[in-house]
Amino acid sequence: MGADSRQGKRLVVAGHGPAAHRLVEALRERDAAGAWTVTVIGEEPRAAYDRVALTTHLEGADLAYPAHGGGVAVRLGERVTGIDRAARAVTTSAGRRVAYDALVLATGSAPFVPPVPGADLPGVFVYRTIDDLDAIREYARGRGTGAVVGGGLLGLEAARALQGLGLRSAVVEVAPWLMPRQLDEGGGAMLRRHIEGLGIAVRTGVPIRALEAGDDGAVRRIVLDGGEPVEAEVAVFSAGIRPRDELARGCGLPVGERGGIVVDETCRTADPAVWAIGECALVGGTVYGLVGPCFSMAEVVADRLLSDASTAVFEGADMSTKLKLMGVDVASFGDPLAGSGPGALGVTYTDPVAGVYKRLVVSDDAQTLLGGVLVGDAESYGTLRAHVGGSLPGAPEQMLFGGTEEAGGDLPGSTVICSCNNVTAEGIRRAISEHSLTDVPGVKECTRAGTSCGSCVPLVKRILDAELTAAGIEVGKAICEHFDYSRAELFDIIRAGEVTSFTRLVEEHGTGRGCDICRPAVASILASLGNGHILEGEQAALQDTNDHFLANLQKNGTYSVVPRVPGGEITPDKLIVIGEVARDFGLYTKITGGQRIDLFGARVEQLPEIWRRLVDAGFESGHAYGKALRTVKSCVGSTWCRYGVQDSAAMAIRLELRYRGLRAPHKLKSAVSGCARECAEAQSKDFGVIATENGWNLYLAGNGGMRPRHADLFATDLTGDELIRCIDRFLMFYIRTADRLQRTASWLESLDGGLDYLREVIVDDRLGICADLDAAMERHVASYSDEWRDTLDDPGRLRRFVSFVNAPRTPDPSIGFAVERDQIKPLPLEVKR
Amino acid sequence: MSAATGVVVVGNGMAGSRFVTELRARDTATPVTVFGAETQRPYNRVLLSNVLAGVTRPDHISLVDAAWYAAHGVDARLGVEVTRVDRAAKTVHASDGTAVPYGTLVLATGSTAFIPPMPGLRDGLPEGALVFRTLDDCRRITELAASARRAVVVGGGLLGIEAARGLAGRGLDVTVLHLAGHLMERQLDPAAGRVLARTLAALGIGTRLQADVTALRTAGGAVTGVELARPGGGTEVVGADLVILSCGVRPEVALAREAGLAIGRAVVVDDELRSVTDPSVRAIGECAEHRDEVYGLVAPAWEQAGVLAGLLAGTDPAARFTGARQITRLKAAGIELASMGETHFGDDDEDVEVVRFTDAARGTYKKAVIREGRLIGAILLGETSAAGTLTRLYDRAGPLPAERLGLLFPGMGRAGAAGEPAESPVRMPDAATVCQCNNVSKGEIRACWQAGARTAAGVARATRAGTGCGGCRDTVEGILAWLDGQDSADVA
Repeated sequence: MGADSRQGKRLVVAGHGPAAHRLVEALRERDAAGAWTVTVIGEEPRAAYDRVALTTHLEGADLAYPAHGGGVAVRLGERVTGIDRAARAVTTSAGRRVAYDALVLATGSAPFVPPVPGADLPGVFVYRTIDDLDAIREYARGRGTGAVVGGGLLGLEAARALQGLGLRSAVVEVAPWLMPRQLDEGGGAMLRRHIEGLGIAVRTGVPIRALEAGDDGAVRRIVLDGGEPVEAEVAVFSAGIRPRDELARGCGLPVGERGGIVVDETCRTADPAVWAIGECALVGGTVYGLVGPCFSMAEVVADRLLSDASTAVFEGADMSTKLKLMGVDVASFGDPLAGSGPGALGVTYTDPVAGVYKRLVVSDDAQTLLGGVLVGDAESYGTLRAHVGGSLPGAPEQMLFGGTEEAGGDLPGSTVICSCNNVTAEGIRRAISEHSLTDVPGVKECTRAGTSCGSCVPLVKRILDAELTAAGIEVGKAICEHFDYSRAELFDIIRAGEVTSFTRLVEEHGTGRGCDICRPAVASILASLGNGHILEGEQAALQDTNDHFLANLQKNGTYSVVPRVPGGEITPDKLIVIGEVARDFGLYTKITGGQRIDLFGARVEQLPEIWRRLVDAGFESGHAYGKALRTVKSCVGSTWCRYGVQDSAAMAIRLELRYRGLRAPHKLKSAVSGCARECAEAQSKDFGVIATENGWNLYLAGNGGMRPRHADLFATDLTGDELIRCIDRFLMFYIRTADRLQRTASWLESLDGGLDYLREVIVDDRLGICADLDAAMERHVASYSDEWRDTLDDPGRLRRFVSFVNAPRTPDPSIGFAVERDQIKPLPLEVKR
Repeated sequence: MSAATGVVVVGNGMAGSRFVTELRARDTATPVTVFGAETQRPYNRVLLSNVLAGVTRPDHISLVDAAWYAAHGVDARLGVEVTRVDRAAKTVHASDGTAVPYGTLVLATGSTAFIPPMPGLRDGLPEGALVFRTLDDCRRITELAASARRAVVVGGGLLGIEAARGLAGRGLDVTVLHLAGHLMERQLDPAAGRVLARTLAALGIGTRLQADVTALRTAGGAVTGVELARPGGGTEVVGADLVILSCGVRPEVALAREAGLAIGRAVVVDDELRSVTDPSVRAIGECAEHRDEVYGLVAPAWEQAGVLAGLLAGTDPAARFTGARQITRLKAAGIELASMGETHFGDDDEDVEVVRFTDAARGTYKKAVIREGRLIGAILLGETSAAGTLTRLYDRAGPLPAERLGLLFPGMGRAGAAGEPAESPVRMPDAATVCQCNNVSKGEIRACWQAGARTAAGVARATRAGTGCGGCRDTVEGILAWLDGQDSADVA
């Protein structure tokens, strides 16, 4: 039967997730004649959103896809309940009956919850929708522990999310290693090191037996088939998905043995008027859980609906993935598990301390790249993935460690760059030349490449750069794909525009939601410019782990506490307080190289209690956790020392109190020596001062650490005030112009004109910015206040240390200590039995 | 009384001959008598595998020529064995019936090839079965190899693999039978052993691991095969008309034991290489046990020889041997291998950092073991461009680059990306040891060049660099080329 010709044909789409959204958009884009009217019926109360980025919802990101244009009726909060194939109509939960000429099932999947006792307890969640996340956030408030069942990609994201909600978090995976579908054993083991390094406990190779309730009837712990139970006041299941195929079953359409609506390569079911796309479809015997294949299916169906002559087919998909998981690059491409036995041919590189694992799998004759796994450093992902199925263009070590430059210009045109949206290198090149594109956002808009998971954006940028360079256009040095500016330029934008939030910055000057490169960099700039407390509002979510809890994360998930001891000068009374705190909380104490005392082994919920005692005794944060001024070390100086020519201790204290809390691109260290004997080792510091008969000599840009650098003598025989003015300007100029995570030493080395230029800028005021630099430092000095005192005074911020509020005296069972030389030492998280 | 002050050296191998030349370089007066069981003049045993492989001629591995002994007043008794030591009378008795009194006795008897006790060997080795220890063995194997077709090497240690490579190079079908679970288990970890086995396979050398050899099969007094115990019981035979037994060595300590000296695994000596039993007896090389360690490599033996020469000549009374780091390099065409220190640590061992690269298809395996920021062990297999750097870092316990990748791949990684290769002589400190066997530093080579030496041979004459395993010869030439290039600048 033909459709009503006036109204056109009627398309009904069951479900409104990413696949459905893409189908409708693709159809609208190409259906210029308006052949189809579309009705979308979606069960969730909100329109389609970017489920890949689900976790960022907790950070306040807006995940919504653009709304569909005209001719599309979207009914939300309504579910298709039945299909009358004979009459070509669906019935809905709202009791309506909607007729169709074509029906597309895009019902997605449901999280699989294994049938274990207690799976229905209060406090047990799945991790699939925005509603799920909102419910988890609400429930987690005031609770102390959380655990995720399932160590796949989503499960790990969920575990990190629980941690971000203030819970002590754990992951339980039944397979012997994490991400078993994407990684091999070595990669899984390396990932585990990273995850544990973040303070998330990991248990692998253990099936769960039950979830047990606490006294309140809500879930309290997860009992495993072996080993200690895992404490969990919040439990999240992320143990795989099951296709939502019940509608197909209900109307007699064939479904797979393990679920999934059976479709052919055009995504058509046994009924020619009914199609299925996305995670509910079983195509070629496979249910695809990645967004890329789902989009491809949507495109195929759109094409077929628009033209009977269409030859579009779904040809399977590249299951390669690259993701940033909790700051760790993880990638898998091709068939990473091909021949993973010990004798298998492969190229493997492991550096556990750096957290790097790389494996390439090659064919028996070593000629063909079959797949691979990258953990910790996935820079070469794009290049490698492009060569799967072909021969490696160079020696494997070149490909693994140095082979990123050749990619871009040299990639064959047929290479798929964006597997989510099926965009080839040739497609990108064509778009660049046809539309005269000059930036990544332009390429994204034009080709959709990089708009889903985003992992190919670096490769897109390299292709773009190569094309632009070939066309004689200059290529900029942007900090990352979200901003077309360097850190120094971003600093100017933030300062000039008085931008105070990342959200505003990225809205006005960038694209997307930011990444692990630009977010902490911007957080540091905001802090440098004195934008209030670093745990204030949105800023909190931008910080690194250490800044997050204002303490340094240590091996076993505990934290260390370092009170400031300016110039290393401390009264007996204060020493006694430190001693008493360490004793009362059972902390390991160690004198640091920076002349202060580090207290190790504090659990997160103890931090406020510890700091309460310290702050009450007059201590303040030492910023050992921050990219900020650490210490100003000093010798005892002319007051006591027979050789001293100036009071170095007093100067050190003056400097430390002036620059304390100053956020910078990297940590800052300083020292003051009272005579040329240089007992304070000032020449190895970012700024070092050595007393002379006539005043002070200033040395800049020294560095201990991995690549030591002697500081350069910048100025001699300065008075105290002159000295401070020089340092003020030096620090502010550095903060404004350095790259992210660049210390003063490498900053000065990369500064055009070097030390002489620096003198011209901050002594001769060649750029005319000295007044501005001085004012900025004055603002810093005037606005300084102790982060820990502020935190203690603010219940909102204290809530971050949430288990303190709820269960102040319950030690976390997953933290263990041993005793060595009369003090505690950490046990790795999994050692405890 | 000259007899009481004379030095008698028993053994004229790598250690003994080196000691004699070292002593004469410092002391031309003290009477020296050296006994050597082998009739030919001393030769570089390390290079025997090169001779077997046909890449070095036998007459090119001599260490000391006959004229030298005459010119330096050394009484060399070649082909004469010492049969007894009379410590009370401070006299040695020799197979030629002579007795020589000594002031100091230096034992440098080395070691002998270990022949496992098994049926078929009671009456000595059958025709076609040999050990691989001496130049004579080497000559005999070479002769047999000319007509043999299938060779079996029993023992997959360093020497066994070198022998196997040599035989394969002569066109034989070669199988290595090895008792342990992986090849060269003393120097390599299991993964490296697997890669090595693969490399050997590509060179036509088969490997059987966990091969429990129970007997040699013979027919008419000639070997026909090697019998293996099957894991589940029973035996199987690997056919062969040439069998090389390379089952390790045992220190040759019969004389010392008979003389009542303290023996552990070898003659127990202190830091002055002095027997703990008798201060007038010293021992060096493979027959000496120092701080529980018996060294089987040439570099420690030569170091001991130097120390002892300085002590006995009185030129360096403070000289002490305090132990040596062990660096092994395999010499066989088509197999690049260097191993040093503690290589067996894995990723899960605490307190150590293991950086590892494996490329089985190309036969590359690289591993660096780091503890407390210092290299404590390394394996380089297949591609050894980093060997020089790693050896120095290991030997000197030097600080490591922050980016570990550069350890395994010199010049790679961010640190060295734009820089010159780590092996560049420019970046090598003067104190860096270039020749491990003879402990010659870059500074000494530079001094040698400044004194006029312009060729590797000239440097070898002056410093001995490159005369041990020969592995550093390229580096020496590189340094010379660099110095030549620096000529004008340096003189100014």
